[in-house]
Amino acid sequence: MKREERSKYLEEYAEDKKKGIPFFPDAVFKDVLVALIVLIILIGLAYFAGAPLEERANPSDSDYTPRPEWYFLWLFQLLKYFPGNLEFVGVILLPALGFAILFAMPYLDRTKLRHFRNRSWVMASTGVAVVAMGFLTVQSIRETPAPADVSGTINAAVLFTENCSVCHGTSIDVPTGINLHETIAGGHEGMPAFAATLSTDEIDALAGFLVSPQGGAIFTANCAACHDSSDLAAATPFQLQDALNQGTAYAPHDGLDIPDWSEVLFGQDRTALLNFLLAPDGQRLYTLYCSECHGTSISWEGERDELEALIRQGGNHLEMTQWRDVLPEDQITELALFVVEPSTAPGGEQLFAQHCSSCHGVRVPSAPDIETAYNIIADGAEHRSMPVWGDVLTEEQLTALTTYTLEASRGTPVIVGQQLFGQLCSSCHGDFGEGGPNPADPIRIIPPISTASYLETRDDATLRAIISKGQSDQGMSPFLESEGGPLTEDEVNAVVAFLRSWESDPPVDLPPDLARGPVAGGSVQVYAAFCAQCHGADGAGGPDLVGPSLTSAEFQDSFTDEQLHEAIDLGHAATSMIAWGEVLTADQIQGLVDHIRSLGGRGTLQTIVYERDIAPIFQASCAGCHGSSGGWDASTMESVIGSGSSGPAVVAGDPDGSHLVQRLRGEGNLMPPAGALPDNQLDLIVQWIAGGATAEVTTGDAQSGGGDIGDYTWTKDVQPILQASCAACHGSSGGWYAGTYSSTINSGDSGPAVVPGNADDSSMIQRLLGNGNLMPPGAPLSEEQIAVLIYWVNSGAKE
Amino acid sequence: MIQKLSAWFEERMGWKPIWTALALRNIPKVNWLYTLGSATLLVTVNQILTGILLTIYYVPSPQDAYNSVAFITNEITAGWLIRGLHHWGASAMVVLAGLHMLRVVFHGAYKFPREITWFTGLGLLAVTMAFGFTGYLLPWDQKAYWATTVGTRMLEVTPVIGDWLLRIARGGEELSAVTLTRFYGTHVWVLPSVLLLLLGIHLFLVVRVGISAPPTPKETDEKPKVWFE
Repeated sequence: MKREERSKYLEEYAEDKKKGIPFFPDAVFKDVLVALIVLIILIGLAYFAGAPLEERANPSDSDYTPRPEWYFLWLFQLLKYFPGNLEFVGVILLPALGFAILFAMPYLDRTKLRHFRNRSWVMASTGVAVVAMGFLTVQSIRETPAPADVSGTINAAVLFTENCSVCHGTSIDVPTGINLHETIAGGHEGMPAFAATLSTDEIDALAGFLVSPQGGAIFTANCAACHDSSDLAAATPFQLQDALNQGTAYAPHDGLDIPDWSEVLFGQDRTALLNFLLAPDGQRLYTLYCSECHGTSISWEGERDELEALIRQGGNHLEMTQWRDVLPEDQITELALFVVEPSTAPGGEQLFAQHCSSCHGVRVPSAPDIETAYNIIADGAEHRSMPVWGDVLTEEQLTALTTYTLEASRGTPVIVGQQLFGQLCSSCHGDFGEGGPNPADPIRIIPPISTASYLETRDDATLRAIISKGQSDQGMSPFLESEGGPLTEDEVNAVVAFLRSWESDPPVDLPPDLARGPVAGGSVQVYAAFCAQCHGADGAGGPDLVGPSLTSAEFQDSFTDEQLHEAIDLGHAATSMIAWGEVLTADQIQGLVDHIRSLGGRGTLQTIVYERDIAPIFQASCAGCHGSSGGWDASTMESVIGSGSSGPAVVAGDPDGSHLVQRLRGEGNLMPPAGALPDNQLDLIVQWIAGGATAEVTTGDAQSGGGDIGDYTWTKDVQPILQASCAACHGSSGGWYAGTYSSTINSGDSGPAVVPGNADDSSMIQRLLGNGNLMPPGAPLSEEQIAVLIYWVNSGAKE
Repeated sequence: MIQKLSAWFEERMGWKPIWTALALRNIPKVNWLYTLGSATLLVTVNQILTGILLTIYYVPSPQDAYNSVAFITNEITAGWLIRGLHHWGASAMVVLAGLHMLRVVFHGAYKFPREITWFTGLGLLAVTMAFGFTGYLLPWDQKAYWATTVGTRMLEVTPVIGDWLLRIARGGEELSAVTLTRFYGTHVWVLPSVLLLLLGIHLFLVVRVGISAPPTPKETDEKPKVWFE
């Protein structure tokens, strides 16, 4: 605007103002009226619609479909049109440009004209922008499924838009011969692994969609009116074949107003459709079509071509021997045990290798329980002919199936995987994959990985990808060597095989979903349903159980009822003990406390058998390094006790004085170097040594009068603790004196520090627990040390 | 009586000239579209008041945020109303500010002498969007968490400084307690300060320069016929 135009405008405006209305009350009246309407609308929305609050944020639930607030949806949608490196154009450049244009408006639209009829291009471009934003918003709402609708049907196109199109644009050219399923699950050259975010079914649907986009189009045009793609994928191959070959003669299609598929769909179209429905994914094909007869794997030592020909031609008869006629009954039982739970049947591995692996390969078939396994082995399997797969499967599917079968036949034994799992995975995932608080972030719970539903929805490639690369957003580090972890590729496969063995036989009945709210039942039922899983049915714990013994005198004396109540209610950080307060009522928890007290009152006797209880621990955690090559030798009971580079490792009857225990506790270099043994295993070893370190040791608590474990004395147990942690200040300078047995008990500023038999009244114990000024100041004793002292006091404070 | 009272105040405060300048000034004849600005202002005041009330019970930590929001919604007297007004007010503020801006474009009101009013208005719109983005995370529910995960990830695609921006927004690699406190601090202290500063200038100019008169078509002096008058 020129100077004269500017002053002319100001003159005209002054004129307008003079002819105008007073701000108060005329304009204010209109403003107040509109404000009132807006306010009423807001109150109405607050009352009728409310402010939504969904479930608490769950960072491990990556199935959630994120959606921004509605006024950002247009931007969210815009992203989808700018794949890969262009992404920043949609996210940053365009919005920034838009804002820059708005800022420049007074300089772009420079004339003095203000009426919209004289500013058509401004009106037009504003209109286009508004319509575009509206369109993008509507598009975004239509394309993103609401969070509630995600479950159930899988729409491959939607999956593609959400996960792939940002980088890959509208379509991907897939080179032939690529295992697409594995690529999607495990990632590839800068492409992230989708194993953690997508289920196996989703990955498969996506793979089918990518390999065969024309198959997708054929499906949509011909089948989608009646069928869901996941329904058809789950149908048997023969049903699909019949529907396509027999046309209108196919019984389920009888009488329907549909074309004759045998005339409409053939050749390439047929292949495309089948590839779309069931992506060429070997494991899935194997699981769906082969595993019913062949179990989890088959042995194959020939060439690839022969195998492919065999599958293509089919026709062979399957016949599994009736092993009842061949093997004695105890060997069949041993095998059945081995199949269900490899660790319970040490002889099973050899039997399996001898009799079964020539057909079954190295992957042990799994069975739900011992009886089923026994029957299958004893009775053999019926005669069945192998289908002519060449007629049923597409070329791509055949190739993938052959590749998988070859891989699987070269797999790694489950038992190796079990050991690796115990060493590396169980500290976070629990011994049975039951999960627990996340050590990296205790407010998060690691969900169970051993449930049937978890394993059914994740195939081997997925599990392999998760183990290999870890899940950085959940504190899981990569485990594959090339990713910086400790495992070779074979070992990762072994762990996968071990996880897979859980699928038909989930080891733990898991507590119901915590969100489901209170459960019914009295303390006995609740104990049996939840507590017994980890603490044993009688509460005595055990070498295979996660939880400690609840019945030992040590446990019973160490905690008050309130502390037990709190532990059940709130859980124990950094252990598998979860907060049951979300599931149980306060009354039920109180009932449990009483129940646990009653369990403890019985007193227990426990027999520790070296071969059964102790040897497996050394075998699993020590023998790998401590063989017969010098130094300490973990292989036999005699060598465990007698060998050692600095004298015998075990002093029978004196766990604290035994080198072995000291190292296991981390005094000196911690053993095993990878991380301390679980408490229950360490306890067992300590009890075994305390009981005399013989082939069979009987222990028990003091009330029942058995064994040595209750014999805490001042000289042996208490003095070392006091010497290390108290004597520096509580020397001879008055007040309490920690130097001798009698002074420990009798001295003290406010009367005797220890009341034998009663830890609650002993001021020494109370100060150690932090009732009053905490002792030692600022550096409390460990729980074990305090437990020893409490036990010593309660058992009479012997010298 | 009222006159006495007003005289008593006038002697001690001298507020009459201010009242005259603010309220009794003349403005051009305007139509109903001119109420959009004041409606936005009303919603802004609503956001400030309800927001202050919400901070009394809200706790910005991952452990407590969700519980405190649930507590406000379900337990506190009229808590549902306060949170409902704040939630819907946020949307209303974006809508009304957007419409207000369209009105200004429609009337060419960003032209001389109101450029600065226009610039501060755009700043206010940006601040409003930032309010919406930071406030969305605070309830710490699923929607909040994942929308913010995706939203902050968008920053990452910025060339060269993308990673840096992402870390600033999240306070680390992942969405965490730090992200929550950063968003909270921004939402409750930083943005309101900027908002009040810009709003002060904006309103001062509205009074000082005056609001634009509805424009007339070229070369004619007659007022246009407009359907909404």
